[in-house]
Amino acid sequence: MSTRIHRRRHAKNIAAQVLASAATLLALAFLVWILWETISRGLQAIGISLFTKITAYADQGGLANAIVGSAIIDAMAIALSAPIGVMAGAYLAEYARSTRLGATIRFLNDILLSAPSIVLGLFVYVIVVLPMTAVTNGTTTFSALAGSIALALIGLPVIVRTTDEMLQLVPSTLREAALSLGIPQWKLTVQVLMRAAGSGILTGVLLALARLSGETAPLLFTAFGNNYMAFGPLEKMASLPAAIYQYTNDPNPALHAIAWAGALLIALFVLALSLLARTVFARGKTSHD
Amino acid sequence: MTDLATATQSGSQPVAPAPAKIAVRNLQFHYRDFHAVRNVHMDIPERQVTAIIGPSGCGKSTLLRVFNRIYAIYPHLRAEGEVRLDGENILDPGYSLNRLRSKVGMVFQKPVPFPMTIFENIAYGIRHHESLSRADMDVRVEQALRAAALWDEVKDKLKHSALGLSGGQQQRLCIARGIALRPQVLLLDEPTSALDPIATGRIEQLIEELKRDYTIVIVTHNMQQAARVSDRTAFMYMGELIEFGDTEKIFTKPDKKQTEDYITGRFG
Repeated sequence: MSTRIHRRRHAKNIAAQVLASAATLLALAFLVWILWETISRGLQAIGISLFTKITAYADQGGLANAIVGSAIIDAMAIALSAPIGVMAGAYLAEYARSTRLGATIRFLNDILLSAPSIVLGLFVYVIVVLPMTAVTNGTTTFSALAGSIALALIGLPVIVRTTDEMLQLVPSTLREAALSLGIPQWKLTVQVLMRAAGSGILTGVLLALARLSGETAPLLFTAFGNNYMAFGPLEKMASLPAAIYQYTNDPNPALHAIAWAGALLIALFVLALSLLARTVFARGKTSHD
Repeated sequence: MTDLATATQSGSQPVAPAPAKIAVRNLQFHYRDFHAVRNVHMDIPERQVTAIIGPSGCGKSTLLRVFNRIYAIYPHLRAEGEVRLDGENILDPGYSLNRLRSKVGMVFQKPVPFPMTIFENIAYGIRHHESLSRADMDVRVEQALRAAALWDEVKDKLKHSALGLSGGQQQRLCIARGIALRPQVLLLDEPTSALDPIATGRIEQLIEELKRDYTIVIVTHNMQQAARVSDRTAFMYMGELIEFGDTEKIFTKPDKKQTEDYITGRFG
């Protein structure tokens, strides 16, 4: 049955396959290249002083204050965005699933999801940093808290969206079963549905953390940066992305190497979070079947 | 046909007329513009098994879902007419849903255990309606699991997740969860359609035992099942209740031609 039309289809099929495979290879090649550059250049500067020295003594090469600062700012950001995001997602999925209000909120959330992060940074500068400066007569200006709020705005829409989607995936029979026992809607949502969708919601929170931990722009006008170790939420605080930015702008090549090491740390952190998210999600899935 | 006849005769004494537990009067049900249930009148007797049969889309599940108003969680659905439970109209907006659902339990087509331990699956519903001491709760959970013929299989793993049980066990757990609230009526919506024949047999045996204490309404696609487990059978077609009577009569000499055509497999 090797008629002309069949031969032609066969050729088209092969052409499509080759093009698709080439595109995939191209995308993968860049990914591997990026990882390779980050790892090979970053590893050179990784040493004990990276974790013990602060950015103020740049010649000795350290990111200690930036690592601590990123940990504090990211932790506060996720602590702010996770509860609000999960509750908002639950509202969308359980109370506003097929209402016009729900659709509008989902649309606005998607806009926030794709908002340029520098806009969010400027927004927080205007609504947090400037008022704070005015209220404290300039004693407090830029702060870790402001940075966390800016990063929370990056993470929030991710959490809202995954929570909404994960709850919508819970079969409606589970809702009917609980409601038919007389369980009220709020108890059903918090105690049954969120547990059923728990691994998916947690995955969303982890992915939000991965997303916000690499952001630089929102921190520039908010947490600002600090060459010394800082722990207080109202202090200016260093962070890995901001420190990388600072070091790459320096003419000293030794500092460029430290910047690469910082980039490697962020990449590894994001990679670890993604792996964790996958494991959590896979485990959640198998236990429901 | 002969199989059906023997199936009904084997387990049947003449059914004594029992007082109506649920009295349905002139019930209409609408999905938005679709008139899904029309002019249904029926008296569901106490402590008997009433089966509702009919082809897909005939309104049998819809009718069942009116009896605990579970349909009300979705928008654009409405029921009109009267459904009197012990004389009170449950469609009256003043009738508390909490009260209704503690009186009328429901088991669904697919087993839906909560993502909790086996013990918690049962205790969760009870805890919402009553506050019991730990010891009393243990007793109640055991009673419910025994009544659902599941106790012996799960007594050593009460703290394990209910999601690890087999489908048949999960369905019995759902029955246990329903009867743990000590309802008066148990609604079963095709409770065995997702189960294998052995698990189905166990559930049917359980229904036989449960009718001593509960008024049971079961929707089923399986006519042999209706014949085996029920005392009374209702046949629905295109949203109307065509015929309702003693199961034996419905399956051997129905009054209506449509009923006969359906149970002899001429359509449906």
